[in-house]
Amino acid sequence: MDTVGIFLQITFWGLYAGCIYILLATGLNLIFGVMKVVNFAHGEFLMIGAYITASIFFLTGINPYLIILLSMLALIGIGAVVERICFRPILGSGKLNEIFLSIGLIYIIQNGAAIIWTDNWQSVKSPYDGIALPVGPLSVPLDYILIMIFTAGILCGLYVFLTKTTIGMQMRATSQNRKGAMLVGIDVERIDVISFGMGCALAAAAGTLWVVSGQVFNPYMGSIPAIKAFAIIILGGLGSIPGAIIGGLLMGLAENGAAFLLGGIWKDAISFVILIIVLVVRPTGLFGEKGE
Amino acid sequence: MHFNKAEWAKYGFIATLAIAITIPFLTDSMFILNLLVLMLIFIIFASAWNLLAYSGQGSLGHAAFFGIGAYASTIIAAKSGITPFVTIFLGAAVAAFIGILIGLTCVRLKEWFLAMVTFGFAIIVQTLTVSILAPLTGGWDGMASGRLLSPAIPGYQLIEYYAVLAITLASIAAIWYIMKSRIGLAFLAIRENELEARAAGIDPVRYRLLAFALSAYLAGVAGALQIHHIGYLTPELYGVENSFWPVTYVILGGLGTLSGPVVGTVVLTVIWEMLKATGITFGRYVIVGIILILAIIFLPHGLVSLPEQVQEWRKRHKKKEPEPVKDRNDRSRL
Repeated sequence: MDTVGIFLQITFWGLYAGCIYILLATGLNLIFGVMKVVNFAHGEFLMIGAYITASIFFLTGINPYLIILLSMLALIGIGAVVERICFRPILGSGKLNEIFLSIGLIYIIQNGAAIIWTDNWQSVKSPYDGIALPVGPLSVPLDYILIMIFTAGILCGLYVFLTKTTIGMQMRATSQNRKGAMLVGIDVERIDVISFGMGCALAAAAGTLWVVSGQVFNPYMGSIPAIKAFAIIILGGLGSIPGAIIGGLLMGLAENGAAFLLGGIWKDAISFVILIIVLVVRPTGLFGEKGE
Repeated sequence: MHFNKAEWAKYGFIATLAIAITIPFLTDSMFILNLLVLMLIFIIFASAWNLLAYSGQGSLGHAAFFGIGAYASTIIAAKSGITPFVTIFLGAAVAAFIGILIGLTCVRLKEWFLAMVTFGFAIIVQTLTVSILAPLTGGWDGMASGRLLSPAIPGYQLIEYYAVLAITLASIAAIWYIMKSRIGLAFLAIRENELEARAAGIDPVRYRLLAFALSAYLAGVAGALQIHHIGYLTPELYGVENSFWPVTYVILGGLGTLSGPVVGTVVLTVIWEMLKATGITFGRYVIVGIILILAIIFLPHGLVSLPEQVQEWRKRHKKKEPEPVKDRNDRSRL
């Protein structure tokens, strides 16, 4: 393949990898925007989402793309419980506490999943495995295209939810000014639960897409994507959803480019190199408002 | 018994020291002795992490310094033939130097930005170790590391235990001295209010870097000790687990206190080993996670605050006072 072809191929992989990161980062952004909570255990919800999808698929054989909704619904519930039990008691007691609490959650969720599903690497074969469409000079797996369509669909749905529905508007109000939202009669604690649940549901969607793309997963796989999602929201600016989308695509491109140019071992480290450079040069992120 | 805080600290210290010195005579099990050595090493590690947290900087990548100390010490010992007892401190100096470099990129960052960068840094160091530096470090396979003492020496484990105990005591004494000196005060001032600290003539950047260097140094000492004790090292040293353990120990014991890391490490190690004896594998981590979360929610100042807490609960119970109401939506403390 010629240079242009290779470049296009890497770009395409980057876009597809970026989709999963975008969903994860948007979920984080939603939670951060409303609750100002930093959930380091976010990747664990991606992992649970992946396992729920895979388990249902193994049990029933339904097309895994259809299970995405079930998986998201399940994670709304799990997320709401986690918010209620773990995060609400410590809200407002300092940022470091939230980080430490997330570490506890990581221990519990990862190893709880290992008890349920064992810690072996698993993978799922998509029903469209092996089907590829010609796009320009490339042949692109149908799964990758479906993943992009699903991501776009979920993001559009989220946009409509946030701008058109009452709860969505309440969420935006809470994220802009918590005390003001309380003054106008919004039950901010309810909004917290909903936002956390939705953030987790987006992680579950990312997990489902991770699974159907044929990537392997085990109970400990969530940390690295989660940390990349953090890097993305720092890149794109805290609380900025368009920033997360652009950041996610950039991250997908950067890591696939780095894997190609420097070797696969750099795939994970490159995101931190970018992150550190961004933080040193521009601590508020590329598109960010002023930091806290 | 109604001890005040200072008395608790004094008697607690004397009792702990007495137990630490006599314990090798109470057991002749090499397994327990080995466990105690590792526990002491993790006390140093947790204390190092705690010192950085004391200056208001929570790191999630302390495994980097732990690992750098270990690798540097091993390589220096192997290339020069110097005894590990000396290279431990040279290796730690390398960790401190890297710590300053990291500190330079982090001085403006706070809270989870800092946590992110330090976490990422551990991964970058691991990647470098297994890729570019592989000829020196043995890549993923790791390499043998000179033992602190040759197993041929009779009673070498006992000597090693006391050597590590001495280094642990020295580290804790150093941290105690730093905490009560002007440097410690400056750390506290920066942690509580950077603007006011600056107004009082404290240069936050300089003190943050100092905290990074000191903490990285001690973490490096701990890493080098562990590796020379075990005799082998792999890039797993940089793993997430090694970054999270000191955090868990310190939070359980009591953040920002001198005794917190010690109490946390001892209690959690005992719980851990007891769970290990029951044969559960993944469940152990789940239980540690639950303990950690319960501690954060119900005992925010850690186990060391337990005596005071109990006294307070009792007092309130006697007077039948209601619990003080917390305003959960008060975000002014953020």
